[in-house]
Amino acid sequence: MTLRAERIGLLALPGLSFLAIIYALPLFMLLLKSVQIDGQFSLAEYQLFFADEFNRAVLWRTIRVALLTTLLALAIAYPTAIAMARAKGIWLSIFLVAMVLPMSVGVIVKAFAWTIIFRTRGVLNDVLMSFGITDTPVRMLFTETALIIGAANVFLPFMVLPIYAVLRQMDTRLPEAAASLGATPAFRFLNVTLPLSLPGVVAGSAFTFSLAISMYVIPSLIVGERQQTLSMLTARSFLYLRDEALGATISSILLAIAISVVLVSSWLAARLGARQ
Amino acid sequence: MNQSARPDRGQRPYLDVVSVGKAFKGTTVMSGLDFRVAQGELVSLLGPSGCGKTTLLRIIAGLTGADSGDVVLDGRNISSLPAHKRNISVVFQSYALFPHLSVAENVAFGLRARGVAKSDTGPSVTESLDLVRMSDFADRPVAALSGGQQQRVAVARALIVNPVLLLLDEPFSALDRKLRETMQVELKSLLRDRNMTAIFVTHDQEEAMGVSDRIAVMNAGQIEQFAAPSELYARPKTAFVMDFVGLSTRLAGRVRHIQAGQMQIETAHGALTANGTLPVGTHVTIGVRPELISPEAGENTVQVTLTDAMVLGSKTLLHGAATEPDKLICELPGMRAGLSRGDAVTFGWSIADTLVYEATP
Amino acid sequence: MTGTDRLFIAISWVIATCCILFLMLPIVITVVTSFTSSAVYTLPPPEWSLRWYRSLAQRAGLWDAVKLSLNLAVISTLISLVLGTLAAIAVTRGSFRGRTAIATFTVSPLMMPGLVVGVALLQFFREIGLRDAYWSLLLGHIVITLPFVMRTLLASMAAFDFSLVDAARTLGLSYPKAILQVLVPNLAPAYLTGGLFAFLASMDNYPISIFLTDARNKTLPIKMLQYLEEQPDPALAAMSSGLILLAIIVLLIGSRTVGLNRMING
Repeated sequence: MTLRAERIGLLALPGLSFLAIIYALPLFMLLLKSVQIDGQFSLAEYQLFFADEFNRAVLWRTIRVALLTTLLALAIAYPTAIAMARAKGIWLSIFLVAMVLPMSVGVIVKAFAWTIIFRTRGVLNDVLMSFGITDTPVRMLFTETALIIGAANVFLPFMVLPIYAVLRQMDTRLPEAAASLGATPAFRFLNVTLPLSLPGVVAGSAFTFSLAISMYVIPSLIVGERQQTLSMLTARSFLYLRDEALGATISSILLAIAISVVLVSSWLAARLGARQ
Repeated sequence: MNQSARPDRGQRPYLDVVSVGKAFKGTTVMSGLDFRVAQGELVSLLGPSGCGKTTLLRIIAGLTGADSGDVVLDGRNISSLPAHKRNISVVFQSYALFPHLSVAENVAFGLRARGVAKSDTGPSVTESLDLVRMSDFADRPVAALSGGQQQRVAVARALIVNPVLLLLDEPFSALDRKLRETMQVELKSLLRDRNMTAIFVTHDQEEAMGVSDRIAVMNAGQIEQFAAPSELYARPKTAFVMDFVGLSTRLAGRVRHIQAGQMQIETAHGALTANGTLPVGTHVTIGVRPELISPEAGENTVQVTLTDAMVLGSKTLLHGAATEPDKLICELPGMRAGLSRGDAVTFGWSIADTLVYEATP
Repeated sequence: MTGTDRLFIAISWVIATCCILFLMLPIVITVVTSFTSSAVYTLPPPEWSLRWYRSLAQRAGLWDAVKLSLNLAVISTLISLVLGTLAAIAVTRGSFRGRTAIATFTVSPLMMPGLVVGVALLQFFREIGLRDAYWSLLLGHIVITLPFVMRTLLASMAAFDFSLVDAARTLGLSYPKAILQVLVPNLAPAYLTGGLFAFLASMDNYPISIFLTDARNKTLPIKMLQYLEEQPDPALAAMSSGLILLAIIVLLIGSRTVGLNRMING
């Protein structure tokens, strides 16, 4: 039996149909629900949502936290990726383990660990007080700063690895060529290393931002009810408030943000790729 | 022992590498190496991989630091200068063109690094691209270029900044044979026109002989001989140089007898005579260039059983049976028919053409 | 290298080291805390003790949750490996239009907010009348694991030389047999890597699971957050340490068989 190339496509059918029915369809139905009232097309739910000041604050907070988390992660990740790209042997293994182990341990474990660290009677306060930096315990849990630090910690490997991958592939002769042409270290970095690392930065930032926008466990544990994010609001509407219309609306907004991030980063990646 | 022949022009050397040493991870790659090049010379560093030629190039460029010794350029000691201050351009084996920049942007890079505004680079870039005949490709991405085109862009990029010295690391190795020869001719004429001092690194002796005024043959971190191609070929100073540059008949032997400034040397293929007075009992290597051998008796004669007769159009190569590392090769001009494997032939040549080197037993 | 170069490299190493410590911090704190003798999270522990580990044996519902999570993780991963293989072959070897779109589609759940998918599934299952929590969870977990598997399989298959399969067929194997006996063993690293990461993702999942559970079917993450609300004592640190141990075992398996570098870089 010869398998014609077109027929091979049929192999994808089981997996595709599964995802289409159990993933795409439900999402589509959810989206549909958010633009309907009593079976009629209506954007009323969205209007209601945005009209409420509380909701707008939540939306803004969610975006702000996600942006700051991404920036913090990038600031730490970039130099780390540079060092990692030069690492060899045992050092490289240490780096890899340091990246993969936290990723594999899971969000629950890490978010919980940060609550221990940030507690009023917790680790960080004990350390700060024993070093004499503060006299009274600083309230860290339930603050946005704590959330950003905890989230950046959880998502850090997702920022480091793409940048590392790109830097590692970079031809080592390129900075040398630049030097022989008279480029100072700063010029070399700005005009060779940085532009070439951009695809990794875009990929890592897009993924981190996406994760940070939709994170649920981390804010639940670190800031709780006091400062909600969009995802927490969604969960509350379904599980506690029983306001499914609201839940559907917020879900659609989250979905829209997630899809936009994917589209923008793909476009950016394509533009960067076209020049290389 | 290092050979650093005086440059032909009898001036103070332009590039003076003085007693340079370098070790990697405890292994000494070179030590006490001297190397002098005159202004406007085209010079090659020729040797097998691992001989240290690329290391020396990188030390001159400032990409690698030497452990000891100095690099002096036009009277100035540049040993402690970082690479980007030396104004020494390098063309890399892989060309190292910046993938995120167009051809024109690549060429303009050196100027921009020196503070020239992007808008002012236009005329110089156009001129450089014209020089290498790549003007039509100015706005193309470098990934779309062929090997030869990339090489030309790399050369334009290196020359636009008017370097005091140009270094090229195996610049032709990625090109196919035909292209290689064309590029060598082009590059050589380009460099001559600008009176550019250039150092090539290569493992290909034909390439070295084609582009250089002088060739430094390197082996295990030492320069065995540094001379014009013809000198290297006719009067190689060591057995290594003889083997590396061109073909040769080579025989291992021992000095049996000295008389009147000549040595009688015993080899596996009989007794041979050569000029010189090494002590009796010395192990030696004898060498003769194949085109100096004729298929008839001479002052030195050896009986040979042919293993092969290669008719190559302009010449015929006769290979004789010999145990490695001995070689018996005779080169005859034109096409010689009638000789084939198994024939018994006589190889003969003059005593004056016999090269002798001390060998380790 | 200039002095400036060296300075920058030194700075990057310092930051990198801080980064490694920063990444390891939560894990270390968790493990250390789990061995405390006190009922509060003070560090260093007043005394080292295994009391919290011992208390796990009596924990109501913990082991049921562990069993459920393991069950879901293993079964959904296995199903995903099968579905993923078929789909990856189709995308890599087929020549129909929309191959890239399909590839992107199968990996897309990774980029979606898990919460939204959970909500959507909840409503959908209710709509079609699926009330059984276990089956809902299983279906949901396949959605979680499939993208992980697809990601590694797609990358590996793109690099796989399919003429090996053709060679096997000319030697007498049917297409399915050739796939099983030639492709699968050669892609073992990808299967292992994709499978292991998918397994861990399923074990750790909260946002989708929370919407699909009921009173009797709670996965481990859900149970743990429940304990956190009701009784936040260091027993949770002990549970976390158990998960950390699981992750270490998984990584050891991966690094011994496939190698750490390949696991991460594909």
